[in-house]
Amino acid sequence: MLPLLETQATMRRALLKSDSSGLVPLIASQTASAEVQIAIYRNNVFASLTTVLRDTFPMVCRLVNERFFAYAAHEFIGEYPPQRPCLTEYGGDFANFLEDFPPSRHLPYLADVARFEWLLSVAANAVDAVPLAPSALASLPPEATPRLMLTLDPALGFLESPWPIDRIWQTNQAGADASKVIDLDAGGVHLEVNRRRDEVIYRSLDVSVFTFRQALRKGATLEAATVRTFAVDEAFDLAAAVADLFRDGVVTGFVLAEAMGV
Amino acid sequence: MMTAAAKAPRRAPISVGTGLRGPHMDEVVLTRPAIGWLEVHAENYMGGGPGPRRLEAIRRDYPLSMHGVGLSLGTAEGLDREHLRRLEALINRYAPMLVSEHLSWSVSGGVYLNDLLPLPYTEESLLAVARNIDAAQDALGRQLLVENPARYLSFRHSTITEPDFLLELVSRTGCGLLCDVNNIFVTASNLGLDAVAYLEALPGAAVGELHLAGHSRISRDGASLLIDDHATRVASPVWDLYRHAIRRFGPVPTLVEWDKELPPLTVLLGEARAAAQAAERAIDAAAA
Repeated sequence: MLPLLETQATMRRALLKSDSSGLVPLIASQTASAEVQIAIYRNNVFASLTTVLRDTFPMVCRLVNERFFAYAAHEFIGEYPPQRPCLTEYGGDFANFLEDFPPSRHLPYLADVARFEWLLSVAANAVDAVPLAPSALASLPPEATPRLMLTLDPALGFLESPWPIDRIWQTNQAGADASKVIDLDAGGVHLEVNRRRDEVIYRSLDVSVFTFRQALRKGATLEAATVRTFAVDEAFDLAAAVADLFRDGVVTGFVLAEAMGV
Repeated sequence: MMTAAAKAPRRAPISVGTGLRGPHMDEVVLTRPAIGWLEVHAENYMGGGPGPRRLEAIRRDYPLSMHGVGLSLGTAEGLDREHLRRLEALINRYAPMLVSEHLSWSVSGGVYLNDLLPLPYTEESLLAVARNIDAAQDALGRQLLVENPARYLSFRHSTITEPDFLLELVSRTGCGLLCDVNNIFVTASNLGLDAVAYLEALPGAAVGELHLAGHSRISRDGASLLIDDHATRVASPVWDLYRHAIRRFGPVPTLVEWDKELPPLTVLLGEARAAAQAAERAIDAAAA
């Protein structure tokens, strides 16, 4: 008798990899064939997860069409099934998958549209964060400032793309003017996604603010983020950029990085 | 003088609830329909954002039941501790009257398959599921109701019937049962079992909730199978089985589920009223 662990691994392979050879002999015979019975579960898995992806990536689905999307989703689910049961957290790898997916190579912007939709979804489902008042930093000695690591609102996300993702997004909304033509060579974007109360919003940032905020999001110290930003914009105004973070209410905490090389 | 207490005791009306899905939330908040309680899928509220906040508003007006679909009580790999912590946080936040999960598995090899997959009913499975239920009840500090799944296959090496398996889980872990009447009907039809005998074999005192839902029929290669799709009204033979369940288990809180092709809220509330009426008639008939 197969141990439970093995039975479950066998069924997992039968469902995800469409390899039922190990499972069929384990199934008691009924009116319906074992293959038919297994197919019901396989369909449940793929159909439900495809729905999850379609809900998270509606614009990707609109840009390719329903049938292609279902095909891409099926391939993605088979290769990168979820690892956790909270499915609003499923699909973070879909953009990378699409980028390397040969059938969609003719749509070079598709992966960035997926990245954008992922950020919208993350923002929509992020836990409510409480903004930190600037006075919280008042007690820090000035020499500690470079080591400051600001925690940003979990709803905040950043996307840099060589494609006009915001225009693609707006122009392809249901009810938008379908005759409008997007110039794909119009230039790239630096977008910031956030949530205000219950509404997910996005806006274009200039490259220095984008670089600064994205560096902080990735966990850079204030000093490291500043160095990175000066590399793209020598006129970067650090004091104004920090003040803007607090004004936008997106700083939710801070830690001090360990002093280095003492 | 005739007092209220001297009259024949008036039985409490059965408490009927409906599943609450995202598209109905605003309407429920605005119209506050007359319904006994509401049940949500726990995993839908483990993130942040407007959904969990709206659920807090709804919780102020209605008793809530937390119905988990992702704990994978049947996994041989042991429970996902992080998921259990999130479920605990949810229970602390919403103080649900009932917490339930399924006799099924969905996690294997660290992969979450998002379906309620069938177990072989063996002594080994019994140990694994009982251990997981113990771990969950210990972590959550409360009783779980465990639901019978809709099944489309059974394993050759099963040695225990599903009702006996549930009975054994109740006696080993102290869990309660969520008896899904539609699932019994679907499973019995698909696997050639007797639905009434199944119902009769369940330990009645452990049943803390009943589920009702719609199913559909498909035909494949000359075989006909029922699919538990929660996309239609409750089928007529399931109502018969429900009345039988009420006669057998008493006025257990009952939930009407509808997840796909979601109808207007009024249709769902109509199904809930139908359940309340069916239950009252069944109780009256039993008393007569």
